[in-house]
Amino acid sequence: MAQYTAPRKQNLGPGFWQVAIGLTVFNAISSYFIWTLDIDKYLPEAAAPAGDIDELFRFLSVIGNAILVYVIGFIVYFSVVWRRRPSDGPDAIGIQIHDNPKLELWWTIIPSILMIAIAIYSVKIWANLQNTLGDVLTMESVGHQFNYEFRYPNLKKSVYDDMHLPVGTPVTLHVTSADVIHSFWVPEVRIKADMVPGLVQTLRFTPQKTGVYRIICTEFCGVSHGNMVAKMTIDSQQDFSRWISQQQKLQGQGGGPIALASGHADAGQALFGQKCSTCHSVGPFTQKIVGPGLGHLFDDPDHPSLVTGEKPSPEDIAHVLVNGYQGPDNSQGKAGPSIGVMPNRQANALSNTDIANLVSYLVSLSQKK
Amino acid sequence: MAIAAHHRPGLIEGHDHIHAEPQGIVAKYIFSLDAKVIGVQYMIAGLLFFVISGMLAEIIRIQLLTPGGAIISADTYNAVYSLHGSGMVWMTIIPLVTGGFGNYVMPLQIGARDVAFPWLNLLAFWMFPIAGVILFSSFLVGAPDAGWTEYPPISLQGPPGTSLWCVAIFLIGISSTLTGINFLVTIFKMRAPGMTYTRMPLFCWAQLATAMLNMVATTALAGALLALFLERQFNVPFYDPGRGGSPLLWQHMFWFYSHPAVYIMILPAFGIVSEIFPTFARKPIFGYKMIAFSSIAIALLGFMVWAHHMFTSGMAPWLQLPFMILTMVIAVPTGIKIFSWMATLWGGKIEFHPAMLFAIGFLITFTFGGITGVFLAAVPTDLHEHGTYFVVAHIHYVLFGGSMFGIFAGLYYWWPKISGRMMNYRLGVVHFWLTFLSFNVTFLPMHWLGLEGMPRRVAEYRPEFQFWNDVASIGSFVLAASTLILFYNMAQSLIRGKKAPGNPWHARTLEWTISSPPPYYNFKTIPAVLKNPYDFGEPLPYFGLDPQEDEEGDGSTFAPAPHAETAERH
Repeated sequence: MAQYTAPRKQNLGPGFWQVAIGLTVFNAISSYFIWTLDIDKYLPEAAAPAGDIDELFRFLSVIGNAILVYVIGFIVYFSVVWRRRPSDGPDAIGIQIHDNPKLELWWTIIPSILMIAIAIYSVKIWANLQNTLGDVLTMESVGHQFNYEFRYPNLKKSVYDDMHLPVGTPVTLHVTSADVIHSFWVPEVRIKADMVPGLVQTLRFTPQKTGVYRIICTEFCGVSHGNMVAKMTIDSQQDFSRWISQQQKLQGQGGGPIALASGHADAGQALFGQKCSTCHSVGPFTQKIVGPGLGHLFDDPDHPSLVTGEKPSPEDIAHVLVNGYQGPDNSQGKAGPSIGVMPNRQANALSNTDIANLVSYLVSLSQKK
Repeated sequence: MAIAAHHRPGLIEGHDHIHAEPQGIVAKYIFSLDAKVIGVQYMIAGLLFFVISGMLAEIIRIQLLTPGGAIISADTYNAVYSLHGSGMVWMTIIPLVTGGFGNYVMPLQIGARDVAFPWLNLLAFWMFPIAGVILFSSFLVGAPDAGWTEYPPISLQGPPGTSLWCVAIFLIGISSTLTGINFLVTIFKMRAPGMTYTRMPLFCWAQLATAMLNMVATTALAGALLALFLERQFNVPFYDPGRGGSPLLWQHMFWFYSHPAVYIMILPAFGIVSEIFPTFARKPIFGYKMIAFSSIAIALLGFMVWAHHMFTSGMAPWLQLPFMILTMVIAVPTGIKIFSWMATLWGGKIEFHPAMLFAIGFLITFTFGGITGVFLAAVPTDLHEHGTYFVVAHIHYVLFGGSMFGIFAGLYYWWPKISGRMMNYRLGVVHFWLTFLSFNVTFLPMHWLGLEGMPRRVAEYRPEFQFWNDVASIGSFVLAASTLILFYNMAQSLIRGKKAPGNPWHARTLEWTISSPPPYYNFKTIPAVLKNPYDFGEPLPYFGLDPQEDEEGDGSTFAPAPHAETAERH
């Protein structure tokens, strides 16, 4: 065995600084290209947080690229320069150093600083996401095996697998599931949320680019998981309004006038039993369950005139049925009758015919007296 | 055949003795209590399950050659990738790195004759092949189809095999826990005299950290699995939201285990390369203490980050921040390790033995996987990447490029010790380059597939993704073929390989001071340890090695310790 002699103070090895400079130049150039990369060109940034998220992605890529360039660069360089050469004897050994506290301190501090920078940048973008505008259009999506249901505030029935959004309108989307866990992901929006049964999650974003995009399920949900894809169309405002009214027409509601005269009191009575009698009696106004009694709408002086300020007409009753009503809550001893909240027709699922029938029934009740 | 105690300073008088050699094939090779034999059994079973899980991976890649799915129905496909993941994680990597290398190498490295509880070891081992058989036999009754994570409620509706999956993973979990306890006690109580914690080989440090994780984290998995099993078989509503259960309960319990499990899989690989770098660079490992302590730091931090798998699953937004930041903190001790290994290369006399090539390859691919891990840790970017092929790419960079490369490196490194035969050097080099290149061809394109919108766990995909899927598939075929080279090399080594000397690499840890393969009692006399084992160029820091073990006859193996008198103090 060769006698071990302490090595002289070493320099860093042949070409170390040249390689370091070369890697630095390469890193600078590649960082520039990464930082200025227009991700939008490859995957459109179709809605508001996408730009923010891509910015963070580019930032992480710049740092990740730098780490890779130096780590791989130096590994390859060390492997070449410090390789065992044929001239080395069988007992040849490397430079016997055990540690270098100063160097180790630096390679603890520098990655720590990088990680703090990444954390700060991530928290900043995260805060942007939390503060993303929403609520101008608030809607819901429910995942099913294997489709997406969309509920719009001004559509009575749900729309399936075809989501339309108006450009420039902040959207709040509540997502949940009816069966197993699904996920709502639009790559062009860059955000996703799992649709978990029994849990409502909220996504907020603002569509910015019109076009047709994909909604993709990323949580395994069964045999057709791979086919669970829906369409998200970002429309201009006009196209969106047109689409909504088209849907309304298709669903046969809201558009046409209600033919009150054609209502049948008997059908109305049956329907009242199903949908109204939980909250309303057919006694006088004061015979309250949740809402007031509705037996004497047209001749009971206790009934306030809710709609026009005049004595109620059948049209006024229809109006309340369609739109619902939020009355003052005077139950805590304030003067005046307490009326509470009457849900609208969407909540009660009332068609035009239903409303006409109900109105005839209520009119007939008053006439019985 | 007790050995006089005065040869072994520090040992309790009469406590240490060599048991009679077991007789008969059953006692020697099948139900052996010897940790080395059990370690080899783990390796054989683990490599067998590696082959099965690998073939499932190839079925996945053949299926994804065309957008419509080439060969199997979506049903079968779901079962195939679920068992591929479960098989690789629980039946391949974890048993290989803990049960396999841990059992074989760790007791030798600390100068012990066996682990602390050999019977427990035997029990833990036999749970493993039984669990493996149960897992793969689920194909007969309808294999689990909801991925290796088996999220309820979909796993509640899964085929009958999902319950078998629960049983199999529960069993292997108990086996892991037992092995964890066993290794912990072994390392705490059975180190050779003089082997203080800072003289312990780094592989043992890694096994220590892993054993802690195994012991604590796996119990959470056992609870979660038991609940899933009870809900599936006996309708007890733990996870069904319709009956007051919570699907997120599973996710929290599962990831409370499965994030530490990532470290269970990678820490031993860290340990393996920490042995290989100094040996083939002929240098002391750089920053011994920092590497040792960072293993413990990673293990502890590993318990505090599980919910970073759940950023999109549904949790209070503010809660995302601590999990995100703690995850990023782990990058610092991991970085310290990577830089220390690089510094070990610097100034070395690097020999590119296949073990060293795999260790260097590990360093590159694992660093890459670590960096994409930061992309997934940052909440905003994770919202885009979660559940896509980006995640698939990331886990394969850390589990294949990390753990499996570590296992390959360890196989080349300890093969002569285990088998007593040398492997073919050239074949090893070819294996490395084919594996390294085809690995990157397979998994690198998956990053952009995911970023562009390909979700994971799908049997079919959009036509514009076909090109990169085909590239990945072709890469995976080469990857599979390159693994065959390893198996061929092992087989030809067993049949006609050159006999291995006790210390073919001139390494310095204790397992290399005895013959290859070691006798069943490991050490005739337990040596005393004077220093940590990485000072090349100095005499071995052991006192009281048996001179008969010096097969090379050059005196290097048992050169007298420089300060023999210090041994007396221990």
